Amino acid sequence: MNNLWIPIILIILAPFIGGLVYGFERIIKARMQRRIGPPLLQPFYDFLKLADKRKMIIHSAHAFLGIMHFVSLWFALGVLLLGGDLILVIFLHLLSTALLILAAYSTRSIFSHLGANRTAISILAYEPVLIIIAVSIFILTGSFDAAAAFQSEQPLLYKMPLAFIALLLVLPIKLKKSPFDVAEAHQELTGGVELEFSGIFYEAVYTAKWLDYVFCYALVYLFAGNNMLLGAGLIVFTFFYLNALDNSTARVNYKQMLRFSLAVSFSLAFINLLINSFS
Amino acid sequence: MKLASYRKKSPWILHYNAGGCNGCDIEILACLSPKYDIERFGMINTGNPKQSDILLVTGPVTKRNRERLVEIYAQMPEPKVVIACGACASTGGVFRGMYNCEGGIDQYIPVDVYVCGCGTRPEQIIDGVVQALAILETKTKELEESVRLKKEAVKEKQQLNRRNIADEIKPAFT
Repeated sequence: MNNLWIPIILIILAPFIGGLVYGFERIIKARMQRRIGPPLLQPFYDFLKLADKRKMIIHSAHAFLGIMHFVSLWFALGVLLLGGDLILVIFLHLLSTALLILAAYSTRSIFSHLGANRTAISILAYEPVLIIIAVSIFILTGSFDAAAAFQSEQPLLYKMPLAFIALLLVLPIKLKKSPFDVAEAHQELTGGVELEFSGIFYEAVYTAKWLDYVFCYALVYLFAGNNMLLGAGLIVFTFFYLNALDNSTARVNYKQMLRFSLAVSFSLAFINLLINSFS
Repeated sequence: MKLASYRKKSPWILHYNAGGCNGCDIEILACLSPKYDIERFGMINTGNPKQSDILLVTGPVTKRNRERLVEIYAQMPEPKVVIACGACASTGGVFRGMYNCEGGIDQYIPVDVYVCGCGTRPEQIIDGVVQALAILETKTKELEESVRLKKEAVKEKQQLNRRNIADEIKPAFT
């Protein structure tokens, strides 16, 4: 029973943990730019402030889809942390992003549409790689369940290092970090898909971003097996890698992103799959 | 719930240039730089009116800009404050009385804080924002409307202005 309580607590506290990660990330990013940066609890201040704004919605379906994005993402995270089917997890995550894309297409704003197009393209860039990684885990552990990966004696990292590199290359796309942040692109699209949300309904999308952090770090933790120390090390490494990458690179356009992701990340994951299946 | 006290801690700024010379805009961007670093007060420069609290306007309102200015103001959810940043935005500055400009943004939207200077200094902008935060805390969630949508424009006798023959602005939201 002891093993079941940890994921349940993690799932319930996921938005809080994600908010702390986001707050810490903003400080780290500021320090990398020689600034002081906001306080650690800044995301929660933003959260409470947004709760106090007047409600403005485009239409009810738009607001509803935004909230469903948050709910389905939390559900996907829950399935992942409870050790569910990895393919199911990936497609639930896809569903949550698809809901956000639908919300963005349901408005008449051109920026919202552009953001939705680009988010759809970024799904095309990272989704195949994640599925190939799930298949590699299936070949190694004999099961698609995340629980099999969490409990494996030998960390998966030693058997599939190329897949881990591929994951590191697609995580910036998923988290909308700098070289691959065309979907969000704060200077040109001012947020893309989240553009038309406001007040308490923006809160759902804003909090979903925090959940995405927890989701991605849980994916990273998959590679450590039952070795908790290695898992923590991998998460810390990924955190600093993502922020350093975000601060030091410029945005590429969506064609370059797609080409890079399908040519490099996908091939790395696929070579890893071939090695695993023939060894 | 004392949610209003959190407005002070995360003001999101929307910056709009209503036809200025870009001098004040450079100073606003300087506030984000490591020397002043307004992000340590939780301020973010968003480009999105629907998620921002403070409207920072620079420049005199040119004839082409005024409808956008009113529309951006209407798109911001309450509570919101408006800062007229620089001499042009406050009074029209050196452009006052020209045929293509209006004298200051307060003829269209209610302004809470005026920041002086032609280019305002970053310290003055930060001071203005801090004053605006005190006003923001006392504001309610009730609808605030643009001045021009309700009333006639401010007219002065000695001022030779295109406004006298300009069209009325159509309401952004009906």
